[in-house]
Amino acid sequence: MSTTSGSSGVQRRSFLKVLGASGVAAGAIGCSSDRVDKLIPYLNSPDNTVPGVSNYYATTCRECSAACGLIAEVRDGRVIKLEGNPDHPLNQGALCSRGQAGLQGLYNPDRYRGPMLREGDALVPVTWERALQELNTRLSQAGALQNAVFINQHESGSFPALLDEWLASRGMPPHVSIDADVNMPSVEANREAYGVAWPALDFTAARLIVSVGADFLDDWGAVVPQQLSFADARAKLTEAPRFVYIGSRRSLTGLNADEWIACRPGTELMVMQALAGQMPVAQAAEAAGANAAQLEALVAELRGAGSSLVLAGTHGTNATEVARAAAALNQSLGNVGTTVLPGRALTSFEGLSGASALKAVSERMTSGSVPVVFVRGANPVFTTAPAAGFAQAFQSVPFKVSFSSYPDETTVLCDLVLPDHHALESWGTAQPLANSIGMQQPVMKPVFNTRSTADVLLQLGSTGAAAAAPAANGDSAYRQWLEQRFGGGVDAFVAAVTTGQAQGTTTSAAARPALTPASADPSTPIGDTDGEFFLHVYPSPLLGTGSGANKPWLQELADPVTKLAWQSWVEIHPTTAQRLGVENGDRLTITTGAGSVTAPAYIFLGVQPDTVAMPLGRGHTAYGRYAKDIGVNPLVALPVAADSATGAMAYSATKCRVEKEGSHDQLVTTEGSARQHGRGIAQALTVAELTALQNGTAEEPHGHDIPGVPSYSALPGLRSPIAADAQGELADSSAAQKGMYDPEHWSGMARRRWAMTIDLSRCTGCSACVTACYAENNIPTVGAPWQGRATSPVTWDERPGANIIKGREMTWIRIERYYEGGEDNGTDFETRFVPMLCQHCGNAPCEPVCPVYATYHAPDGLNVQVYNRCVGTRYCSNNCPYKVRYYNWFGYGEPNRRQYAFPEPLNWQLNPDVTVRGKGVMEKCTFCVQRIREAEHRASSEERDLNPDEFTVACAQACPSRAIVFGDAADATWSVAQMAVDQRAYHVFEDLSTFTAVVYLKKVNHPAPGAPVQA
Amino acid sequence: MTTRRKWAAVPGLAVIAIAATLLSAYSGAQAAQQAAAAPATQTESRDPAVIKAGMDTVAERGPWAYSAASSNVGNSPEQPINFPHPVHVQGAGMNCLYCHNTATKSPDPGLPAVETCMGCHQIVATQSPEIQKLAQYYSDSLPVPWNRIHRVPKYVQFPHQRHVNGGVACQTCHGQVQEMPRVFQYSSLNMGWCVNCHVENQVRYDCATCHY
Amino acid sequence: MATTVDPHRTGQRPNVASADVQLPAVRDYAQVDEEIIGTLRPTGKWFAALGVSILFMLIGAATWAYQIYWGLGQAGYEPPVMWGVYIITFVFWVGIGHAGTLISAILYLFRAGFRTTIYRAAEAMTVFAVMTAGLFPIIHIGRPWKFFWLLPYPNWRLLWPQFKSPLVWDVFAISTYLTISTTFLYVGLIPDIAVLRDRETNPIRKRIFSILSLGWRNSEREWRHFARAYLFLAALSTPLVLSVHSVVSFDFAMALVPGWHATIFPPYFVAGAIFSGFAMVWTIMIPIRKWWKLEHYVTLNHLDATAKVVLLTSLVVGSAYLIEFFIAWYSGVPAEQEYFWNRTFGQWWWAEWTLLTCNMILPLSLFSQNLRRNPMWLFILSIFINIGMWFERFVIVIPSLSHEFEPWQWTTYTPSWVDIAFIAGSFGWFFMWFLLFVKQLPVLAISEVKEIVPPRVRRRSSVAADAPATGGH
Repeated sequence: MSTTSGSSGVQRRSFLKVLGASGVAAGAIGCSSDRVDKLIPYLNSPDNTVPGVSNYYATTCRECSAACGLIAEVRDGRVIKLEGNPDHPLNQGALCSRGQAGLQGLYNPDRYRGPMLREGDALVPVTWERALQELNTRLSQAGALQNAVFINQHESGSFPALLDEWLASRGMPPHVSIDADVNMPSVEANREAYGVAWPALDFTAARLIVSVGADFLDDWGAVVPQQLSFADARAKLTEAPRFVYIGSRRSLTGLNADEWIACRPGTELMVMQALAGQMPVAQAAEAAGANAAQLEALVAELRGAGSSLVLAGTHGTNATEVARAAAALNQSLGNVGTTVLPGRALTSFEGLSGASALKAVSERMTSGSVPVVFVRGANPVFTTAPAAGFAQAFQSVPFKVSFSSYPDETTVLCDLVLPDHHALESWGTAQPLANSIGMQQPVMKPVFNTRSTADVLLQLGSTGAAAAAPAANGDSAYRQWLEQRFGGGVDAFVAAVTTGQAQGTTTSAAARPALTPASADPSTPIGDTDGEFFLHVYPSPLLGTGSGANKPWLQELADPVTKLAWQSWVEIHPTTAQRLGVENGDRLTITTGAGSVTAPAYIFLGVQPDTVAMPLGRGHTAYGRYAKDIGVNPLVALPVAADSATGAMAYSATKCRVEKEGSHDQLVTTEGSARQHGRGIAQALTVAELTALQNGTAEEPHGHDIPGVPSYSALPGLRSPIAADAQGELADSSAAQKGMYDPEHWSGMARRRWAMTIDLSRCTGCSACVTACYAENNIPTVGAPWQGRATSPVTWDERPGANIIKGREMTWIRIERYYEGGEDNGTDFETRFVPMLCQHCGNAPCEPVCPVYATYHAPDGLNVQVYNRCVGTRYCSNNCPYKVRYYNWFGYGEPNRRQYAFPEPLNWQLNPDVTVRGKGVMEKCTFCVQRIREAEHRASSEERDLNPDEFTVACAQACPSRAIVFGDAADATWSVAQMAVDQRAYHVFEDLSTFTAVVYLKKVNHPAPGAPVQA
Repeated sequence: MTTRRKWAAVPGLAVIAIAATLLSAYSGAQAAQQAAAAPATQTESRDPAVIKAGMDTVAERGPWAYSAASSNVGNSPEQPINFPHPVHVQGAGMNCLYCHNTATKSPDPGLPAVETCMGCHQIVATQSPEIQKLAQYYSDSLPVPWNRIHRVPKYVQFPHQRHVNGGVACQTCHGQVQEMPRVFQYSSLNMGWCVNCHVENQVRYDCATCHY
Repeated sequence: MATTVDPHRTGQRPNVASADVQLPAVRDYAQVDEEIIGTLRPTGKWFAALGVSILFMLIGAATWAYQIYWGLGQAGYEPPVMWGVYIITFVFWVGIGHAGTLISAILYLFRAGFRTTIYRAAEAMTVFAVMTAGLFPIIHIGRPWKFFWLLPYPNWRLLWPQFKSPLVWDVFAISTYLTISTTFLYVGLIPDIAVLRDRETNPIRKRIFSILSLGWRNSEREWRHFARAYLFLAALSTPLVLSVHSVVSFDFAMALVPGWHATIFPPYFVAGAIFSGFAMVWTIMIPIRKWWKLEHYVTLNHLDATAKVVLLTSLVVGSAYLIEFFIAWYSGVPAEQEYFWNRTFGQWWWAEWTLLTCNMILPLSLFSQNLRRNPMWLFILSIFINIGMWFERFVIVIPSLSHEFEPWQWTTYTPSWVDIAFIAGSFGWFFMWFLLFVKQLPVLAISEVKEIVPPRVRRRSSVAADAPATGGH
C-alpha cells in the first residue's frame, strides 16, 4: 500500500524513508489483488524503532490553552493515536475529544503545503527563501515598526518570551495574547479574589456545588481536570455532593446537575445576590423568572452545607460582577482552601491579554497607524462579532502576515503565509501548573513543507539579514534555545522531554483581602428592547469558538446535549415552540439590532421559555472542506456589547425577535426517542434507595419480574454470572462450537471473559470515548456534504450530515441521553447518559442468524465480527436488541469513491492493527481485540500470563470521568471482576437472556432535601 | 427403442454432471489438505527440483483450490537487486535474524536497512555490478524498492514474533530460502493452510485469532 | 396414430369432470387443439407487452449495476431498518409462487376439476415467480459477488455456512422448490408438446419439440406411466407448498424482533401465499381468456370456484392478523404491545390500514355470487390483493425494525428511487418470462381440457377414433 501515489504534495519521499516494511494504511477488505506490492526498507535504521511496533512519545496538547499532557502513539513514523499522559499532574491520562482530534489537525488535508504569497487576489505557493526574503524586505520598508501588531493564540510556556524577545529586537511592541475560548471575566475575578488566573477546584471536598452558568464540563476553564475531580466526587455516592445548576440554558454541565434553577439571561447577578443574602429571594426570583421556592431552599441549603463550591461563568455584560460575587460567596462560606485551591493554581491562562486589548488593536488598525500585523494560531476575524468591524480594520493594514497552517478566515486575508508546524511536529514547553512544566517535542517528521514559527523567528534574527539556513528537520534552533534556558541544562531537558513534564518552581498565592460583594444593579438586556426573547450564544463543548470545525471527528460527533451534528441549530423551549407553532427542524430567523441568523429549531426542555440558544463554532466561510459553509455563525446577530470590566464579548442576554422562516430542515440528529418507555436502559437510584440497598432493607418492588421494567433488585451485581459464561456455557449451543467446529479444541485455553463495567454515576456524557473509538478503530466519518447518496440517477443529496439524517453514523460506542420527568414542560427534569456499545452477549442473538458464520462467539467471550467473511445480509443487526451494529453503506474506505472518509493525508492516521472495512460489510465494537492480541503477544514473548489490568480499551483509556473499566471478569484479580458484583450493577434488557458482558452501575441521584423522590 | 434411448438421455447426462462436480470438489478438498501437509516432508531435501515442487502443488489442487483465495505459490518476481540468499546464508553462514532482525519482537520480520547492507559491502565484493547498484541507491540515499513475494491480505493480522518465538522454523512457511538463488513463494498462504497447522499444533484457530 | 386423448379408452386419468366445470361450448377435440394452440400466434398486443416488460427488466438490471458500484447506501435503508423493499418484494414473489403448485398438486390430489383450465398458467407463474424471488436475496446483500458463500461446498478455508441460520434454510427451500416445480411443469407439458410436435412444420422447431416430448406416442403404456409419474410428483411437491413459505416465515419468526417473534407465522404465511397466488392467477388468466377468446374454457364456474378459495384464504389471513394483536396484548411485553400500537394507530397506520382494507375487507365482497362471477371485478380485486399482500410484508418488515427495544434507535423509513426501480425491474423480469412462455407453449393444458369436454364430444371422438382429428403426422 505504501506505493499509493502521493497526491497533494505530501512529503512522500521523506515519508518513505522513515517508513518501515508495513504499509501506510491497512487496506480495504475484499481487495486482495495480485498487484505487486513494494517492500520499502529503512535507509538508516533509526534507534529504538521496530517496524510494526509502536513507540510512545510524551508531549503536550495545544488544542486549548489548558495544555494537558499527551502520549503520542507512533507507528513506523506516523502518529496514529493521541492519549492522555498518565504521569501528567493535570489530566492524569485522560483526554477530551478536542485533544484527541488534534490528530486530524495534523493530518488535515486542507493545510497549507508550504509558504504562500499574495499575488492579486490569490495566495500562491512560494519557497521558504522567497517568503522570508519577502518578509524582510516588507519589514524594512514598513518603517514605524513600533506600531506593529502581533496577535498570538494564547499559550503558556516559553514561546511568548521568545516572541517578545524577537519583537523587541526588531523594535516592535510585545505581542497580544488572546484566546476566544477562555472566559475572561472569571479569570479577572479569580485574579482579584485569589491572585491567580485559575485556582484548582476540588469537587470531592464539597457537599454542595452551585454553578451559575459555569460550564466546567463544557468549556469553562480546564475541562479535563475539572471533570476528573467532579466524577470522583460523584463516585462518593451517598457522600457525594449535590449539584445545583442556575442558568438560562442547561448545558452539558447543567444536564449533570441534580437540580436546575432556570433564570433569565442577564439576571444571574440578582440570583447571586440572593444567594449571598444581599437581596430578598422573592424579589430576585421575581426578576429572574426563577422558582422562588427552589431558590429559597437553595439559600438555606447553602448556609448549612458545610463545605460548598460556588462557581460563576456567565457571558453577560456584567459577567465579571457575577464572577466576583461567586468568589466573594466562596470566601464568606470559607471554601477557599478547601474546595477552591489558589495554592494549586492552574497557570495555563496566565498572561492572557483579553478582549479589551484586541479591541484597542482593532481601533489602531482602523486609524491606519499599523504598518504590519502578524497573526499566529488565533482566528480573530471569525471569533469576533462582525459588528465589531475587526475584519475591515484588519484588511486596512498594508502588510498582513499569518503563521497559521490552515486557510482560516483571518489567514485568507493575509498577504504572506508562513505556515507553522503542528504542535505535534514542533518543540516547545507549556506551564499548565505553577509547579509543572509541560514539555512538547516533535513526535514525527513534518507532514508538509512547514516550519516552526519559533525557528523562523530565530533564523530571521534581530538583523533581518537574509534568512539563515533552514533548520533541517530534527535539529531545531528553537530546541537549542530551549536547552540553553532550561534549568539543569541539556540533560535535564532531555530527561524532562522523555517524561513529558518537569517540576517547576512552586508559587504560593499570597493571601488576598476578601472582596466586597458587588452591589451593582443587575444588567439591563442588550439591544432593542422590543424583542420578545433573549438570545443566548454559547461556545460548543466540541468545536469551542470555531477552532475544532475543520476536524471531521468533531463535526461528526453528536453534541453531548442536543445530539445534533454537522449543522447549527436554535434551541427553543417546548411551550414556546407550541405557542409559535414550531416543529423540530423548522427554520427560525433570529433578529437582533445587529443582524439576523437563520437555523433549524431544536425543541429542548433545558432552555428558559423566553430564551433561544445557539452554539458557536460553525458557520465558517473558509477553514477547509470540513468547516466551510457548514452551519451558521450566530455572532453575526450579536451587537458589540461587552463585559464592562474585561471587554469580553457578551454572548448572552441579547434581546431578539424569533420568526418562522417558513422552510424546514431535517435535523442531523442521532436521537430516536429521548424517553425510555420503561425499557430500563438507564437505571438510577436515589441516595435513600442506595442506603436502603446497602443496609439490605430495600424491599423488592412489585413487578420486578415483568420484562422491560427496570429491576431494583437488592441482589449483588450479576444476575448472569459472567465468569461462568467465560466459555459460553450459558450461551446457546453455537457457543459450544467455540468458533470453529471442534468442541474439544478449547479445553486447554486460558478461561477468559473479557467484560466491561460502566458507572453511570461517573459518566457525564462528554463523548470523549466516542472520539477515542473513532481514532483507535479506523471508523469513517460519514456526514461530509459529498458523502451522501444519490437522490436520482443524476443528483446527489449534498446536505451536511445527509447520511446521519438517514441514521447511518458509524459510532461503535454512542452516548444515549434519556430524560426522566419534565413531561409537562414546566418542572425540573433528570438526564441520564448511557454509553451504548456492543454488549458482547454470552448468548448473542446476532450469532446464530448469520448465514456465513461471519459473527460468532470466541472462546474468550468476545462476540466477533469477521469483516472479510461478511456478505452483508444485515440479519445480525436486525436481531440485535441493542442496535450496536453498523453497516458500510458506501465505500467509505475506498479512495476512488466520493464517500471516501480518509482523504490524503488523513489516511496516515489509520491504525495498521485494524482492518479498514470495505463497502457492504457489517462492523461493530470489538472490545479493541487488537489491543487484547497485542497484550497477549507481549505476554507470550515474555513467557508470562497477562497481568491484571495490564492494558485497557480505547474508550476506557480516554474517559475523563473514569466511568469505564475493562478487563477479564473470569479472573477475580482484575478490577472489572470486582466492579461487576457491585450492588448497583444491572444488565440492559436482562429479560432477553442475552447474558451481556457489559455491566452498568446505576446512577445515584441526589434530590433536593424534601423534594418528592423520583424513581 | 428410439423412445427409450431418448428417455435415458436427459437424466443420464444430469447424473454424470453431478457426479463429476462432487468428485472434483472432494478431490479438491483432499488435495488442499495434502498440499498443506506437504512442507513437512519436503523441507529436508536439498534437491532444487523437490524445492520447486512447492510450485507444482498448484496443479494438484483441483478446480476447488481457487474457490477460496488465489494462491501465488511459485510467485518469484524480478528484484531490483538480485540478492542471493545462498551466498549469504550457506556461504557467509549468516543467520536469518541477522537481517530480518525484528522477526522475534514484531509482527513485521523487518528488512535490513540499506545501511546494514553497506556495512559489509563497502569492503566486500564492491566490484560486483549488483553491489554497485546497491551502492548507487545508498549514495542517492534512496531505499531499495524490493518486490514483495509473501503477502497475506490486509485483513489478516500475522504476528511473526508469535510464531518464531513459538519455535516455528522460518523454512516451515518460507521453504529452503537458503537454497533459493531467487526467492519464490513456497507455501500457498491460503487460510486452509494456516488453519491446518493451527489444528495440528493445538493452538487457537477461531476467526478472531487473525481477522480483526 | 392420433395424439389426441380419449379418457374412455385410456381410463388412466382419475380427473372426471363434474357438471359445473364442464365445457359445454366445445364441439370436438380438434376445436380444442385449434383454439388453445391459437394462443401461440404472436399478436401486436403480445409484442407491445413483451417490449414493455423487457424495458422494465433492463431498468432493473442497470440499477443493479449502479448499486453494486456505489453500495447499498443508494437504497432507502435507514438503520436500524436494515431490511427494506428488497426483502419485502422477495417474500411477495415467493408468495406468488405458491398458487401454482397448490393448484396443480394439491387440487389435483383433491380431484378439484376446476383446476384443469388454469393450472398450466399457474405452474408457469410459479416457476417464473420463484425465479424472480430468487434474485432478491442476492440484490439485497452487501457483497453479492460473495453470494456463493451461503452454499455448502468444499473449500480452501475449510469453512461451512452457519446451518442454524434461517437464511441458509431459505437457500435450500427456494432451490428445492424451484427444481420440483420446474420438473412438475415440464412433465405436465409432455403430451401437449407432442401435439405441438405433430402440428409443427418448421423442421428445427419440430426437432426441438420432438426431443422435449421425449418421443411421446400416446400409447396406453405411456399414459399409464405418465399418470403415475404425475401422481407421484403431485404427492412429492405437496409438502413443499407448505414447507417453503414456512421456511421463509422463519426468517422473521426465528428472530426476537417485536412483531416477528411469533409462532403463528408459518401457517399465516402459507395462507397468505395461497391468497396472493390465486390473486396473481386472476391477474394473469382474466386478460388471457379475454384476449384469446378462451371464455368458454376458463368458464365463470371455474372463476367462481377460485373466488371461493380466495375468500377462504382471505378469512384465514384476516383471523391471523387479529390473533397477532391478541397475542401482543396477552404477552404483556411492552415492546411487543408498543409495536402493534405504533403500527396500527401510530407512525405506520397508513400501511396497516391499506393492508387490512385490501386483504380483509374488500375480499368479503366475494360472498356475493354475482361478484364472484364478474371477471372485471375479480381482476380489479386481484390488483388490490396484490398490493395488499405487498403491504402485508411491508408492515411486517419495516415497522418492527423501526420500533424495536431501543427507543434511542427508533426511526422511520422511506424507499429511494433505487428501490422503486428494482420493484419495476422484478415485474418486468417476471412478465418477460411469462410472455415468452405463452408464445411458445400452450397456456391451457390441451390434454386435460379434453377430459372435461361434454360426454357427447367424447362419444363422437371415440367412434371416429382413427379420423385425422388433430392432423397427426
